Amino acid sequence: MTPKNNIIIGIIIALLVAASYNIGADPIEFVEGLPNLGIVLEEMLLVEPKHIPTALWAMLETVQMAFIGTVIGVAIAFPLSLLATRNLNNKYVYGPIRALLAAIRTFPSILWAILFVIMVGLGPFAGVLAIVMYTVGFVAKLQYETIEAIDTDPMDAIRSIGVSKWQLIRYVVIPESASHLLGQVLYMFDYNVRQTSILGLVGAGGIGFYIINYIKFFEYGKAVIFMLVVLVTVLIIDWASVKIRDKYIVKSQYGMDISTKSG
Amino acid sequence: MTLTSLFPPISTLKIIQMNDVSTSYDSKNFVLEHINLSIDRGTNYAIVGQSGSGKSTLLKLINGMMSPNGGAVKVDYMTPDRKDKAFRRVMHTIGYIPQNLGLIKNLTVLENVLVGSLPRLGTVQSLFKRFPAVEVAEATKIIGQVGLSGKESRKAYMLSGGEKRRVAIARALMQKPTILLADEIVSELDHVTAKEIMDLIADAQKKINLTAIMVHHDMKLALEYANRVAVIKDGSKILEIGVEGDTIVDFQTGNMTTEEIIGMYSDDPEK
Repeated sequence: MTPKNNIIIGIIIALLVAASYNIGADPIEFVEGLPNLGIVLEEMLLVEPKHIPTALWAMLETVQMAFIGTVIGVAIAFPLSLLATRNLNNKYVYGPIRALLAAIRTFPSILWAILFVIMVGLGPFAGVLAIVMYTVGFVAKLQYETIEAIDTDPMDAIRSIGVSKWQLIRYVVIPESASHLLGQVLYMFDYNVRQTSILGLVGAGGIGFYIINYIKFFEYGKAVIFMLVVLVTVLIIDWASVKIRDKYIVKSQYGMDISTKSG
Repeated sequence: MTLTSLFPPISTLKIIQMNDVSTSYDSKNFVLEHINLSIDRGTNYAIVGQSGSGKSTLLKLINGMMSPNGGAVKVDYMTPDRKDKAFRRVMHTIGYIPQNLGLIKNLTVLENVLVGSLPRLGTVQSLFKRFPAVEVAEATKIIGQVGLSGKESRKAYMLSGGEKRRVAIARALMQKPTILLADEIVSELDHVTAKEIMDLIADAQKKINLTAIMVHHDMKLALEYANRVAVIKDGSKILEIGVEGDTIVDFQTGNMTTEEIIGMYSDDPEK
């Protein structure tokens, strides 16, 4: 531990204390509030299983919204990411596209949802639009970074043949980055299911609508059913995407690794 | 003045000329300095030098992937520039094999070779991977020539080092090349495989009027295969040797035997 590191750690602790004081984060209040949690948990244990079918339908709606949002979002994001790469475009193309994507990313999905609820009214459609916007901003960034990280060797070799930019994308960019791009899409779907679960908070459809309303009316026994359904669904999707990744993506990445060595 | 002096026969045409060429990545450190080269059509030209001596840069100047900071490069009497439409047509026929070969790892052998025919293919056809039967037949034939028959549908990342080099050569041949640029493609191979690869290129040269410019690490190998050898050191050409059969025909730096040259310029760590 060098003196410089000590100073940095000291500054971080000082900032932590100052910031906590400023927003009124008080550990004593946290401890005093623990009994309240006990009350909530006790009421949550009064589970009402007859709501399970409703919860499952609401979850299905949520997954559908996430699915549509992810597919449409990726379909819009991929062409934008090709335009945003520095190794395929000049700065007058990638500059504005990157600025646009950064602007889209500044809004969290819940703010997009509020905006679309105002635009198209309450319901799942507003939620789907919010997920599309969020996915575009996020996936396009992940993808252009992946494309920029492609091995320069095949790029140079194929470029030197004098092929068109379309051919370069079709025969180098897509095959070289496909497994990464697929991994990102899976990750995004996984993430979108979680996000969509809370969009109901602002009336943009999905299971979150039930959760927020039951909590508002102190019906924790009903809310907990819906929360458990979200938990289980997210775990299943997580598990499934790990399986898919292992099966298709890790294998081809292994291929990429060994192929850089020769002999 | 006779007609033949105005229009010299094709074989004597200089396909590559470099006149006082210098390149640098920044304004102070030159990668190449005052290089003069003149390469006849059909020559097997070798460039030998230690790593970092600017050999790879020299190849990139020829196919227009880099531009010199000073001096002039002419390929087929044109200035290489990959943004220039007219030069692009020349690029279509320059096979370039970089040091790490530049194969597309997730495509098959056949697809990698077919990439060499992309300049002859329309945009729509190439987007849907619709290669004409003629091109597929040609690719299959070339794959056979380089000794990879039966491995057409293997993914490139599954191949051995020697096989990968064969694919890269096949891709270059698919371009119907007039020039072949190869950057140390046999340096990492064992001696037997290296010779097989070199023989493959020598064979192709016999069949088509191909000018091969190959960068080597190993002076011995260069003398064995090339008609002409240039030695590059610290970005300057310090020596150019003409080779005819087993004898060195012109030699600028006094009387040295082949063994002495090999001793001086090979990159053997024992020396």
